[in-house]
Amino acid sequence: MAELTALAGLFGLSSAFALVGAVLAGWMAWRIVEKAGLPGWAGLGAILLTLTGIGSVVPLVLLWVFAFMRWPRDEETPAGAPRALAAPLKALADRRGWRLEGGGVALSFDESAPSYRLTGGPAEQPTDLVVPDASVGRPHARLLTAANRLGLEDLGSPGGTYIDGARLLPEHGPRDISAVRSIRLGSVELALSRT
Amino acid sequence: MGPDIGAWLLSWAVGLGTAVLLVIVLVHLLVSLLLIIPSWRILTRAGYSGALSLFHLVPLIGSFIVMAILAFGDWPAGEARHGDGGRR
Repeated sequence: MAELTALAGLFGLSSAFALVGAVLAGWMAWRIVEKAGLPGWAGLGAILLTLTGIGSVVPLVLLWVFAFMRWPRDEETPAGAPRALAAPLKALADRRGWRLEGGGVALSFDESAPSYRLTGGPAEQPTDLVVPDASVGRPHARLLTAANRLGLEDLGSPGGTYIDGARLLPEHGPRDISAVRSIRLGSVELALSRT
Repeated sequence: MGPDIGAWLLSWAVGLGTAVLLVIVLVHLLVSLLLIIPSWRILTRAGYSGALSLFHLVPLIGSFIVMAILAFGDWPAGEARHGDGGRR
């Protein structure tokens, strides 16, 4: 009796292993044929055939067929291939400069320098942009250029700096003014445009 | 007489065992070959080395190893894109 129990236990164990193996194989076969571009149930079905009376010859034949058949994957366009016009690999650099105009002055500058100083007094550095007006501080504000964008930072001038009419304080730090229409330094209104 | 019979039986057992083992190994190699040839081609088409199909020579779990490589690895030669047909 003990032998019978042991035999039944062994049979149960081995069939449990067989079941796990079949499920695992079916799952993996599903994934494999899907990667080749075939429907997943075809792979699962091939594995399930081994559980039927047909035995393992048919799945073996199917394995050979799968190995040498045409795979839909091979006829696909490569992954990431364009379906329409390809996007440019890199945005073209905008080489246009900036222009501040108003109050009798026209200031042109570009990204050749990372920052410019707006000052009311005489220019001390080559990157100083002079706005000769009593209400403009010396220096008054700093312009920052980077990656086709323009920033403005107030340097604590008494006359004040305004972006489209809104006050810019030193504690605001640099603000992006690429898209604004005008800035005001003291009482001088400067219109921003591209050159 | 007794020891002679024992030696005779032993040599028979050893010879028979060797023959059975040889047949088992040969059948195993033959069956493995039937699996290795298509697997070699599948692995190559997937972008892996075909030699990975030699895992089929490992008894019991060899086929599972090969299938696991194909099922869970990212195919170097590219996989079919899903989702184009609406199913992922």
